[in-house]
Amino acid sequence: MTRGGMPGALAAEWTKLWSIRSTWWGLACAVLLMALMSMILATGTVANNTHPPAGEAPPGVVSVSGTAAGSVDMVQFVVLALAILMVTGEYATGSIRATLQWVPPRTRMLSAKAAVAMAVMFPAGVLLALTGTAVAGPMLGKWGRLDAGDVVRDALLTGVYLAVMSAFILGVAAMLRSTAATITTAFLFVLVLPITLVNGPSELMKDVADGLPSTAGRHLLNGDGPYPAAVALLIIAAWTAAALLGGITVLRRRDA
Amino acid sequence: MITLRGLTKRYGDKTAVDGLTLEVAAGKVTGFLGPNGAGKSTTMRMIVGLDRPSAGEALVGGRRYAGLPRPLREVGALLDAGFVHPGRPARAHLLAMARSNGIDRARVEEVLAMVGLEAVAGKRVGSYSLGMRQRLGIAGALLGDPPVLMFDEPVNGLDPDGVLWVRGLMRGLAADGRTVFVSSHLMSEMQLTADRLVVIGRGRLLADAPMSEVIAGGSGNAVRVRTPGAGDLAARLTAVQAEVSRVDEDELEVRGVPVDRVGLIAYEAGVPVLELRAVEASLEEAYMELTGASVEYGVGR
Repeated sequence: MTRGGMPGALAAEWTKLWSIRSTWWGLACAVLLMALMSMILATGTVANNTHPPAGEAPPGVVSVSGTAAGSVDMVQFVVLALAILMVTGEYATGSIRATLQWVPPRTRMLSAKAAVAMAVMFPAGVLLALTGTAVAGPMLGKWGRLDAGDVVRDALLTGVYLAVMSAFILGVAAMLRSTAATITTAFLFVLVLPITLVNGPSELMKDVADGLPSTAGRHLLNGDGPYPAAVALLIIAAWTAAALLGGITVLRRRDA
Repeated sequence: MITLRGLTKRYGDKTAVDGLTLEVAAGKVTGFLGPNGAGKSTTMRMIVGLDRPSAGEALVGGRRYAGLPRPLREVGALLDAGFVHPGRPARAHLLAMARSNGIDRARVEEVLAMVGLEAVAGKRVGSYSLGMRQRLGIAGALLGDPPVLMFDEPVNGLDPDGVLWVRGLMRGLAADGRTVFVSSHLMSEMQLTADRLVVIGRGRLLADAPMSEVIAGGSGNAVRVRTPGAGDLAARLTAVQAEVSRVDEDELEVRGVPVDRVGLIAYEAGVPVLELRAVEASLEEAYMELTGASVEYGVGR
């Protein structure tokens, strides 16, 4: 091992991530929450099919892996919290100053964090989707449709979505530096704002909502929406690039 | 070698560091002194690129810290023992640090042994005492075996054994030909450790000189003489331009004349001398005189 630079920065971030307990706890919580959410959604589907509420069409047979993908709306916050802590946890403890002494170029430091977050959250997302599918399948029973192609596609897309969103929120965290501020921002921006806009009175608000990364992610995972999956991915990637650039700018301008 | 050229840091309209220009040479322990808020820590943070200078520059071995490809091999710095994630074990902290700069992992065990933390290296840093965290910080500074070392208040929280150990460590690092730049509030400790002193007050350079010069610059050097013929002796000493003050009925404090001269003058005058001693100035006194006007958070003295 003779190199520093980007390989060194990546190795350091990797070592740091796995040497604190909150990473392990967070991932375990995400798996549990995924199982719970998929269970709730599956139970709801079964109930609506067996005892349809008055005036509503029963959902019929649904995709098992789609039920898991639907749980991502909630589960993503646990994953995002882990990515947020990679930055704000270091500001809270002062250890960001150690990190910047080890890796002084701000772009390299934040890129290494984003890359490690993506490398961890992609397989974590795949695992989460498979967990949700495994839980939802037996619960849905005859109301569930299990298709190998769907399972693979949904698992991969969940992994990609969570990986890219982790990098996005990491950039936001580098701008805000505070755990509470970043988690609040994530909640408002990823959940509250899109729902508010979608339920708003004007078409324009719905269009704006479609341009937000979490809405694009929902379209990506549900396979619906006004644009194809590639465009949804591009929208999320553009937000991520902007957030990381913002984070790097703040890191360069403000003292550590 | 550390070079500061017009290094300045302003926060709004307050100037924390004001045009510092100096060189910290290799092969010596250079003490960095100044009252609270004088700008010592800010200066050190600018040297390792954590804070951006408002003007001027700080160079290590002729280069800016941020431009060093593997900075930990050039500069080891303990700025604050708290710059560690409390949830991470010490060994993992040093391992991540080593990996970031391509340092062999065997070196982690080496520095852990050097600071005496090998038995507790698997424990999370949050469970450490301040003294243990200081030792971990020192281990981190030594990790890259760098030619330049900086320590901000390294003996904070250390027991007397630890203080002695740090003193030996600093002396040894300087003897290896390294640049050692260390700040401390403990004047007696600094007097034993440093070869050269940089003193700042309100962000400005007050002194940059060898230890002996700084101490001699203070007015602390004096001679105490106890004699029944105090009045007579005082008159004779005043005649040779000495500054004499009557401390007691039979005791004088003499400045401006060395102790052996006082003895000879007393002999020539036939004055019996009961006690004669030189009072050595301490760094503390010299420092107090130097910084008296620039204490930021003083209570008046």
